[in-house]
Amino acid sequence: MKREIARYLMKEFQKKGADDVVVCLTEDTSSQIKFSNNLISATQDWRADDLSVFASIKKKLVTTSIKDFSKKAADDTIKDLIKFAKSVEPSKEYEGIADGPFKYNSIQDGYDKKIKDMDGGIVDLTRKGINIALENGAKRTAGVTETHINNVFLLTSNGVEAEEKATKVYFSIRSFMDKYASAHYVSNSRMLKDLRLKEAAENSALVAKKAKNPTTCRPGLYDVVFEPLPFANLVEQMGTCSSIFYVEAGLSCLSGKLGTKIADEQVNITDDGTLKGGMNSARFDAEGVPTKVNKVVEDGIFKTYLHNTSTAKRHDTVTTANAGIITPLPYNTVLKKGNYKKEELLQGVKRGLLVTNVWYTRFQNYETGDFSTIPRDAVFLIENGKIKHPVKDLRITENLINVFKNVAAIGNDPWQIRSWDMELPVITPATLVKNVRITKSVE
Amino acid sequence: MDFELAEFALKKATTLGASYADVRLESTTANGFLLKNGVPQISGFDKISGLGLRLIINGTLGFVSTNELEKNKIKELIERSAKKLNSASKIGENVKLSEETTAVANYEVKQKVKLADISPKEKLDALFDIEKGIVKSGVDVPGRYLSLSDNVTEKYFVNSEGSKIFSKIPRVEYFYFLTIKNGEQTAQRYWQYGKTAGFEALKGWNLPETMTREVKAMQKNLQIGIKPPKGKIDVVAAPQVVGIMVHESGGHPYEADRIYGREAAQAGESFITKDMMGKRIGSDVVNVVDDPTLKNSYGYYLYDEEGVAARRKYMIKEGIMTELMHNRETANVIGLKSNGSARATSYDREAIVRMSNTLMLPGDHTEEELIEDVKLGIYMKNFMEWNIDDKRVHQKYVGAEAYLIKNGRIEGPVSKPILEMSTQMLYKSIDAVGKNSEYHAGSCGKAEPMQAIPVWFGGPSIRIKNVRLGE
Repeated sequence: MKREIARYLMKEFQKKGADDVVVCLTEDTSSQIKFSNNLISATQDWRADDLSVFASIKKKLVTTSIKDFSKKAADDTIKDLIKFAKSVEPSKEYEGIADGPFKYNSIQDGYDKKIKDMDGGIVDLTRKGINIALENGAKRTAGVTETHINNVFLLTSNGVEAEEKATKVYFSIRSFMDKYASAHYVSNSRMLKDLRLKEAAENSALVAKKAKNPTTCRPGLYDVVFEPLPFANLVEQMGTCSSIFYVEAGLSCLSGKLGTKIADEQVNITDDGTLKGGMNSARFDAEGVPTKVNKVVEDGIFKTYLHNTSTAKRHDTVTTANAGIITPLPYNTVLKKGNYKKEELLQGVKRGLLVTNVWYTRFQNYETGDFSTIPRDAVFLIENGKIKHPVKDLRITENLINVFKNVAAIGNDPWQIRSWDMELPVITPATLVKNVRITKSVE
Repeated sequence: MDFELAEFALKKATTLGASYADVRLESTTANGFLLKNGVPQISGFDKISGLGLRLIINGTLGFVSTNELEKNKIKELIERSAKKLNSASKIGENVKLSEETTAVANYEVKQKVKLADISPKEKLDALFDIEKGIVKSGVDVPGRYLSLSDNVTEKYFVNSEGSKIFSKIPRVEYFYFLTIKNGEQTAQRYWQYGKTAGFEALKGWNLPETMTREVKAMQKNLQIGIKPPKGKIDVVAAPQVVGIMVHESGGHPYEADRIYGREAAQAGESFITKDMMGKRIGSDVVNVVDDPTLKNSYGYYLYDEEGVAARRKYMIKEGIMTELMHNRETANVIGLKSNGSARATSYDREAIVRMSNTLMLPGDHTEEELIEDVKLGIYMKNFMEWNIDDKRVHQKYVGAEAYLIKNGRIEGPVSKPILEMSTQMLYKSIDAVGKNSEYHAGSCGKAEPMQAIPVWFGGPSIRIKNVRLGE
């Protein structure tokens, strides 16, 4: 019935004079267990279907959605959107959507029946995670376990008809020894077998135990080993900065930097919409173009912006299959792993810090890349390659390009990170960055 | 709106053994318009309807939501939740709610100029007028991101204790992000305006003139802004800066669910413990409140999402930590009544403790009086970069438009002064508070999944004595 309504909308909009139409039906079922103080605080269950419509009528770009899948609701929507379009101004920079149809490859490890059928099993998964942390010495735990089952059906007026289903599972755990000694680890995967729940729970407890009685240290320049969770925060910024929409809006430090060195030569960042088990992997983008691997940074050189069909035409290039009809976005931003174990990254530090988490990253200027972010949870002072003692109350005050230019070594164990503070998934190992500027509250 | 559906859902929950249940049935009509560098990007409208239900079974709290507004679908979802709760209760918190008065109410924020009567063209024209103002200013502003949106939400709340509340709230929001250029240098500025009101809100904001003034001030800052002074100085912070300060360090740490650990893995906890009420945090000119009942405020409501009547809460009274913000669960933990602080962004999010409109209360100085007693200092009119740690102690604000004060007079612009200080240092260093209150809009983020809820933050200008700027 819903697909019939989708097809009906497509046909009717075209009859009524729309030049381009994209209709997308998404069906979502999600569950969450929220826990705090070692107990379940709440169970949450969501069910939502959404049929969104994008239309270009003489370059007047309009959008709406319907949740009532009756013919009457569809007819009302068509009438209202056509009337709405008459009242808006055209977008002179719009250059259309992709010409389909296309053939698609499957996403490997993208759908897991075990996740689809999990239902009450999410409680057991949560209990397992909490218990592992407690068995490893945590006094108090908080976090969430989530499952998502999603189906997307896409039609475009340029001959695309595509469909895919996806599952996702996510575990986040913050373990506390006391108010100031804590550690936070997350794991994300498309398949239950790939969820690193045991590692995340163990690490959160073991690292929290080492973080008791933090002292402070002076502001200044430090070599910093970033664990995957905090470094993902910065890699995500690089991913979004590569979107041409962000560049044009002034929200990117990569404006005007194509072909230039923006990172150390060890740094290779790809945007990979085809990644096996990638949280955002998809067979097709919002215009139905098959996704691909885009080399964003190669040996430290910035190689490509992320485009949709319209922005690509405007910039005299080809789509990178990252639609967003208006805003191209990365799928999975991947920092290529290096060769170093975490212990080896630490060994490379004469005097520095090990940062296990950050939050509240904010920019003074997105175009220059000047920002600050706050380490939270366990932070350790490193001296002569060894962890000396935990520290607290610090701020990283830096420049995004500077950080990536100062990458000195990259770890060999990538984690897939997406968390409550970070929407777009990143795959990154731990990373050593030299000469990171640390500031503190002035007393 | 089918009220009977809400009653059906409630009955189903209680039949399945819920000791408590509440339902929010919502319907929102919304419109949005976006200009990027003078070019319309996309314009749209939407109607979003759905049902959210909370239930407590065996002491464990569940939440379900759906936009499939059919009885059989709702029934199926509640049954799944009830089954899960029976299992979850083996390791569930024992959730108990404070006893509250049943409320039956019907309220609405009236629109002087109805949003539904304004065509999409008129709304887009409002953005074009702002765009023209910026372009005609003569300042080089290569990045201009302007967005206007409005919505009207009808909400029906009903619970198993007999409360029934209907509300109809309109909201208008304007957001801008600008990049100002001077030679090779750039500066950026973003801000948000918001109100519960009709389209008349836009006229009151005077946006074309305000944008023109701001870009000229930012250009001047780039051209002739000097480095901030070193050593101990006084800082006069204008309402936009004061607003974010009290939101971050005078509001968030007083959210009781943070103190009890429920938000620990998300927005964090607090430096405040429940036994700190009654202790001094600042000078006696400091008064910080949260008040949902302010007329036409962006965070306005009269009853929270648990049906509890809203009221003003004093987090800090004359420098003393006085009151936390509670919902029914957190209030019950310490034997209090809820003070009506439960909010949710939409039907598909659980209600948790949130701010509404968080303000420093005005004092009795004019802004000029605050400035004229400063020998050496800065006047920080607004900011760009800001953050604070998750216990709400170490905060940072970097000025966007700021000026040097010398011998009681404002002199030229100062470039990017940094206030990086602890909450305790901030509040004890405030020696005078102005009477020029302003209210500013924001979208405050918390919870998992994220809920960006409309709030106001604000207050008058304040003077912070004898502090060092950050580097």
